[in-house]
Amino acid sequence: MAVPPETTAPIDPVKESAAAPRTEHHGLWMQAWKRLQKMPGAMICFWTIVLLVVMSACSWLNVPLTEFRYDQTSTEILANPSATHLMGTDELGRDMLARIIFGARLSIAIGLVTAGIAFVIGTVYGSIAGFYGGKIDSVMMRGVDIAYALPELLVMILVGVLLEKVEIFGQPVGRGTFGILIALGLVSWMGTSRLVRAQLLQLQSEEFIDAAKAAGRGTAEIIIKHMLPNAMGPIIVALTFTVPSAILSESTLSFIGLGLSPPACSWGTLASDGWRSLRTHPHLILFPSLFIFITVLSFNLLGDGLRDALDPRTRRR
Amino acid sequence: MPSPWRDAKQNKNATAYSYWLIIYGLQTDETTMFVLVIKRALAAIPVLWIVATLTFIMVRIVPGGPFDLDKALPPEVVKNIQAKYHLDRPLLEQYGLYMGRLIQGDLGVSYKYANRTVNDILTDAFPVSLQLGAMGLLLAVIVGIPLGTLAAINRGSWADGVCMLIATLGISVPGFVVGALLIFVFGLWLKILPVALWESAQHMILPAVTLAASPAAYLARLTRSSVLEILQKDWVRTARCKGLSWERTIIQHVLRNALVPVVTVLGPLTAILITGSFVVEYIYAIPGMGRFFITAVSNRDYDLIIGTTLVFGGLLIVTNTIVDIAYMFLDPRMKVEG
Repeated sequence: MAVPPETTAPIDPVKESAAAPRTEHHGLWMQAWKRLQKMPGAMICFWTIVLLVVMSACSWLNVPLTEFRYDQTSTEILANPSATHLMGTDELGRDMLARIIFGARLSIAIGLVTAGIAFVIGTVYGSIAGFYGGKIDSVMMRGVDIAYALPELLVMILVGVLLEKVEIFGQPVGRGTFGILIALGLVSWMGTSRLVRAQLLQLQSEEFIDAAKAAGRGTAEIIIKHMLPNAMGPIIVALTFTVPSAILSESTLSFIGLGLSPPACSWGTLASDGWRSLRTHPHLILFPSLFIFITVLSFNLLGDGLRDALDPRTRRR
Repeated sequence: MPSPWRDAKQNKNATAYSYWLIIYGLQTDETTMFVLVIKRALAAIPVLWIVATLTFIMVRIVPGGPFDLDKALPPEVVKNIQAKYHLDRPLLEQYGLYMGRLIQGDLGVSYKYANRTVNDILTDAFPVSLQLGAMGLLLAVIVGIPLGTLAAINRGSWADGVCMLIATLGISVPGFVVGALLIFVFGLWLKILPVALWESAQHMILPAVTLAASPAAYLARLTRSSVLEILQKDWVRTARCKGLSWERTIIQHVLRNALVPVVTVLGPLTAILITGSFVVEYIYAIPGMGRFFITAVSNRDYDLIIGTTLVFGGLLIVTNTIVDIAYMFLDPRMKVEG
């Protein structure tokens, strides 16, 4: 998610006064949020994402957003978009808008959960490598290099197929969901870990870290309280880009038939269904694709905006 | 410096000299390159071995086997088929058998494409994928680099805005959407281009454009930030001050340096192209490696899965080595570690 305006990162007073003049009593995050609000494009994307996430959440909580319920007696099969069915209906007479809202459930959740997995694994791994440095660092980073050398899609397909039938807490989340989540998590933490490591190596030479060490603080405390908050900006930007790439990967895998499969429903499986009737009923692939596109575009543009907002130097350049 | 090295150099003993050069891995360009290639080739062996082993383990624990049909075969028949392909042996023995053949360059047999070895299938499919990938890469470079440069030198203007809008759209559209759109417009609506198969030059236009869309956008974004960074350098101002025209400064001084980071992403770019080729080969029904891999996974065609994975892995290693060599030529200050 984007920067919550109310959280204020603990910042060393010495550093803060050096970085920003103390004219306003705002923390780093508040300042970034203020700068972000001045970018209309990024704000449109931000609110679009909020809307999509709310849509996904409603779907999880079974809040009805449309009046359409599947009804086996429906005669409106493969109807074109009209006033009653804004996005038309599919081959069983199901309303496409209702299906897309239901698909948002998995598509958005997969994007966000993958970013979460990438954040947790990447931060822990990168922190250890970056904090200790030296031999530990080079061995750990060589591991990342090897993992990078494997073609992503191959790993995702193999792991996804491997875990196809596993279910989360016995919940019927749909065939392949768990496998895809693990597969996406496996390929997306490496970038985060490299970033965290680089940030921590840089912070090692800061005086306030020396001060914390001299004061006898423990390793975990130094990393969590003093280093990570200062590295948070670039990490959040990177995570904002992880979400759309996970959504793209999931939809691509589902499209070629190796990701989620029915009864699981995501925008990727909807597009995959629509692909078969491209010639006769293009609306079936058009609308799911449009939603994937809008979501990915919003996250990408918000990421660009966040990067500028969190690091004003790159903007001026 | 070790004295035997100096001795060898002073005595002009070419063999001993190059021997020391190889051991210390430095000095002349040609030797460094040679050493680098040798080192990479040696390092590739364990990496490919790990890839083969991991894939071997993965395909065997995936539920379902190659001979699971909708209509179950009689158990005796299944037993006979499994015996023919040694699938009834213990896993470790199967692994030993596979590795033994792999060392001799034999990637095994396909269970689904009867009478075809994996080597045979890959020999047919690899050139198709290579051709598609090369065309996609070429198109991406031709479109992406000028687009990014144009955006950077007109920074803040409408041209920058348009170029970056195109680039952002490009990385946000899934490959299958580009493909579906192109097929719909050029194939079904205007009816000017064929929408499937891989036969003539006309058949290659739509797949190549589909494949190039995302890497072109990626290259444009990268080129833009790289050129912007180089434009800040003092020596760009120097070049302008000594009277060099703007165009020549851009081409001779800025682009040459700005392209160094662009060349280094050839590795990730190859990965993007491989991923893209899966989708493109799927939607245009092109008989390339991506398509064979997809069907092999669905069919649990064990040897074909491992064989394809190995070729993709090898391809990435080769491109990374090429990147390192190109790096040395473009920027001699870089010391590439083997």
